[in-house]
Amino acid sequence: MTRRLVGLAIVFLVSWGGLAAAILTDTTPRLGLDLQGGTAVVLTAPDGTDPELLEVATQIMVSRIEDFGAVQEPEITISGDDTVVVQLPGVEDEQRAIDAVGQTGLLSFRPVLGSVAGSVGPLAGEDQPNLDPETGLTIEDDITAESAWLLYQDPGVTNQVLELGAAVLQGEHVSQALPVFDPNSAVWAVTLDLTGEGADLFAELTAEAASFPIGDPRRQIAIVLDGEVITAPGVNPSVSPDTGITGGTAQITMGRTEDDQQQAQDLALTLRYGSLPVAFEISSVTKVSGTLGADSLQSGIVAGLVGLGLVALFLLLVYRALGVVAIFGLTVFGTLLIALFGALGKLQGLTLTLAGVTGIIVAIGITADSYIVYFERIKEKLRQGLAPVDAVEEAFKPAFRTILTADTVSLLGAVLLWALAVGAVKGFALSLGLATVLDIFIARTYTRRAVRAMAETRLAEGGSFTIKGAAV
Amino acid sequence: MSVLTKLSRSETKIDFVGNKRRWFTISAILIVISLAGFGIRQLNLGIEFEGGLALVSPNPAAADVADVRGALEAVGVSGATVQEIGDGESFRVTTGVLDQEAEREAVAALADVTGSDPGEVSISAVGPSFGALVLQRSLLALGVFLGVVVLFISWRLEFKMAMAGIAALFHDLIITLGIYSLTGFEVTPATVVAILTILGYSLYDTVVVFDKVEELVEEDDKNAYSDIVNNAMNSVLGRSLNTSLTSLLPIGSILFVGSFVLGASTLTEFALALFVGVAAGTYSSIFLAAPILATWKETEEEWMERADRSARRTKSRR
Repeated sequence: MTRRLVGLAIVFLVSWGGLAAAILTDTTPRLGLDLQGGTAVVLTAPDGTDPELLEVATQIMVSRIEDFGAVQEPEITISGDDTVVVQLPGVEDEQRAIDAVGQTGLLSFRPVLGSVAGSVGPLAGEDQPNLDPETGLTIEDDITAESAWLLYQDPGVTNQVLELGAAVLQGEHVSQALPVFDPNSAVWAVTLDLTGEGADLFAELTAEAASFPIGDPRRQIAIVLDGEVITAPGVNPSVSPDTGITGGTAQITMGRTEDDQQQAQDLALTLRYGSLPVAFEISSVTKVSGTLGADSLQSGIVAGLVGLGLVALFLLLVYRALGVVAIFGLTVFGTLLIALFGALGKLQGLTLTLAGVTGIIVAIGITADSYIVYFERIKEKLRQGLAPVDAVEEAFKPAFRTILTADTVSLLGAVLLWALAVGAVKGFALSLGLATVLDIFIARTYTRRAVRAMAETRLAEGGSFTIKGAAV
Repeated sequence: MSVLTKLSRSETKIDFVGNKRRWFTISAILIVISLAGFGIRQLNLGIEFEGGLALVSPNPAAADVADVRGALEAVGVSGATVQEIGDGESFRVTTGVLDQEAEREAVAALADVTGSDPGEVSISAVGPSFGALVLQRSLLALGVFLGVVVLFISWRLEFKMAMAGIAALFHDLIITLGIYSLTGFEVTPATVVAILTILGYSLYDTVVVFDKVEELVEEDDKNAYSDIVNNAMNSVLGRSLNTSLTSLLPIGSILFVGSFVLGASTLTEFALALFVGVAAGTYSSIFLAAPILATWKETEEEWMERADRSARRTKSRR
């Protein structure tokens, strides 16, 4: 008996302690866009953009944002002909999210035709189209242009102005991009896997570059992202000008610092989902309030609590003493769930939307049902004449089997929905899935012990507010 | 002995299978009403699915969200999304598709309540957000889910049970959608979630009920299937009703509280759909799925024989 009580005490400690820890570390559930609001980023596309491209762009943005980990369930709408509004719920690192959203990610590999040290190009002072007369740099980079002058800022090395040729490879030739840390040189980099066509083109590009002597700027290959030269390494001396670099992989070195690590990860992400077909400009970044409104949230919470109270009353009425077990169990369930959501909110950026809350309400219903299934079995056994202690023991196995079967169906549904669905439904699936797993766990560890413990006390029989009293 | 006491002791003796014609008729009527609803009124798709208008207005009069919503509802624009931008310096309102007249009225109302000039209100067409994508993917997931569920239930219990359960599911689905079309409630991605909730519930309930049937079938070797099913139903009736109550209580409470708060219409509609759906789910597990199963099973030879023998026994006893 004591051992059983200790077991129960541990369960309560873990669940309520978990909740306390969650509240203290501010790991409470993050609220979704509909309940809390967040940040709205307005992106404008250049004039005359094809509306189909806007659609494609929004789809890419959705994948990027969700994978970023910082934001879940963003809301993206196309407004008018050229504007996309991205609403990010409760974002913490706004800048990162904005970067993820707005960065076009147009990648190009280009041959270096010449270079000049310093920050000013040789064409400075001349009056040419698309050229800044002060710096001699190209204003708007066009990757198909025969010649473009871009600034290359390599930290630790003096600036260079590079003349670049037309792009030989582009983002579409990259099939996979992953951030890697090379332990030997302690450098962060992004490795690229190239497509078949990409590999051939890369070999050509590097072969051409390898034909120039070491030290000649034309031996360099520039990798340009959205008009900015990320890196311009020289082709390795070991590479033969006949074959170039074959094998279809390339590596972009970022650097050693923590910033470089972040940059490597972000770049890999951008490349993985493909570049946006539209070069957006960020027009504004503003905070927005929740779409449901604070009044809805409040009334929802009040109503939910009232409902729970009614459920508790109902359980007490129908199942008497057993109802107490159920109520405690529901608090354990509730606290664990809140703590879980809080933790996921912090780690995964999971937000709680109205859909998620619905999932929880369903879960409460399913959890309460687990108790009811068990209690009804107990009643059955009691009516067959068994003593309370025996009744609760014998009733558990078949009851748990039923609970497991039914919960598995719920879980299957939740997993499938989560894997295949998008947006609000995904949030619902996660809530439901977590709650179902918790339910099985609680039924197995807590319910049996608690009921058994109660069966050995005065609350087992001898009055109407007892276990036996419920069966009468 | 009162009905409640009988229920509590699982001693009711309702003939579920025998009265199947009655239940089937009720269901048929409900389904027909729902389908008729689709004919009369199309589903009112929300802005996430159909797109609509976005109005942005400065807010010199420092109105709040409730004021704006009230002003819009006064001119007949309901269910609009109202968001405060920044610290209330402007408002962004998204509505469903509006005709010219309604648009003008909405702009005027918005300008009026925010204390700005109608000319300062910017209007733009808003495309559907990925609401359509949500629906597509959900339907895909649903299809796969149904397939897997049929397999799982067939393995754990029986194929015919799986199909009977799915039949009950579709029944609940049609009725819920019927509610939406008849009442004209807005269908949003949240609606999709509500429907999935109901389906999940219905299936869960059906599984528990059939689990009991399976249990009794294994222990029994002389009674007719219909009788076994009846016994099973009567013994789980109490449990089923209790479970529905524990779910309907929170939902009902939200419905009740929500209907008294202005502007909480989204919540109310959501709760109503859930309420009806969960109630339908409970009803269909007992009054629909079980009789269907019994009828179907008794087309099998073994069960036909038992049914005959049982009938003969009853006759000879009279």
